[in-house]
Amino acid sequence: MSEAFSQLEVPASLIERARAGELAAFEQIYRRFERPVYTLALRMLANAESAHEVMHDAMLKVFQRIDQYRSDAPFWAWLRQIATNEALMRLRRDRRFDVDTGAETDEIADADAPPWVRADALALERALGKLPALTRSVLWMYHVEGYSHPEIADLVGKTVSFSKSQVARGTARLRDLLAPVTEHVSCRIQTSMAL
Amino acid sequence: MPNPDIDGAVMPLPEALRALPQVAPAQSAWPQLAAQLAAQSGARDRVSPRRRYFIPAAIAAGILLALIASPLLLQLRGPQPSALSPQPATIPQPVASTNTNATNTTNATNPQTAADSGVQLAALQQRSQELEHWLRETSRAAAPLSGQDLAAATEIEDMIGMVDMQLGAQQSNGGLPLWRHRVALLEDLTVLRYSSYSVAASGVDAKALMPTNWAN
Repeated sequence: MSEAFSQLEVPASLIERARAGELAAFEQIYRRFERPVYTLALRMLANAESAHEVMHDAMLKVFQRIDQYRSDAPFWAWLRQIATNEALMRLRRDRRFDVDTGAETDEIADADAPPWVRADALALERALGKLPALTRSVLWMYHVEGYSHPEIADLVGKTVSFSKSQVARGTARLRDLLAPVTEHVSCRIQTSMAL
Repeated sequence: MPNPDIDGAVMPLPEALRALPQVAPAQSAWPQLAAQLAAQSGARDRVSPRRRYFIPAAIAAGILLALIASPLLLQLRGPQPSALSPQPATIPQPVASTNTNATNTTNATNPQTAADSGVQLAALQQRSQELEHWLRETSRAAAPLSGQDLAAATEIEDMIGMVDMQLGAQQSNGGLPLWRHRVALLEDLTVLRYSSYSVAASGVDAKALMPTNWAN
């Protein structure tokens, strides 16, 4: 994550200009973070319209509170925190705090490569979108955004065990969702090789 | 840390998820944001250039209510030492109405109860005003909040905004529970800000600026 943070570094001079209320500075910040914030919101919400609204609200909040930002902390970490909170608030508001309540799955490492190795990005995105909203959000926050289980538990108002179980269940569900896709792909490859 | 047994040895799930391409929104949010920022900036300049902490219109209405209620308040209270007991981060209880509670504040048929409600309301509004004044005065000198505190402060400010919306929609002065909630939230915000103000070591005594009836 440190690499990701360094790529999203904001010059102190730009922050100062934004603090002074310079609209052009806000625009630069917006352009720099539009994609990361929108992607985060989209991955958590799986809905383009909601993701757009969350991005808008998070950006506005950040701009309104720019004078409270402490420059020694990574700007992206601060913005990401606000965007994550906004996305979670949206899930609560839309009553989409649904989770995977299936039986606990004992994950066993397959001898074969996991299905996401063989699946293309689109298939993985689709499978991710099929997960229950909160399960997907927890999975994304843990695996991609680098939040720890206690941090996630705090953010979603649940226990650490809940966070851990959602990561395990979400991973298992992704495996299930992707298995038919990748089996289909491998069958096609074998068929074409036989020809 | 991700578990390699769960995530697969060849390509862990985190890596596969991170490898997903970033997505751009179909429409930029910037034009709307720019308009909102420009409007807010203009409004701030018109109202007061010193105003950095938001003060909702509901506060002005509250102060007006307090002023209206104050003559009645003085008649009923007599020589009370203080309207508020010095309890940190708690909802103040009016000295003049020791036997009242939130449930009887809406009973407008009893003049004594109505007067007690007025006393409580005025006290809460005054306290709210004092806390906001303190927050405004110290925000310039306070050290920036840490990420976690800032997130908490943001959440509290949002909740205050929600309370203000409800207060703004309130037609009568029956918003005593809302004002209690508002004061409690402002006290929470004050606690957060007080620590950062102390850290800033600006040379100004935070306690001197703090509302006199708020001990920390």
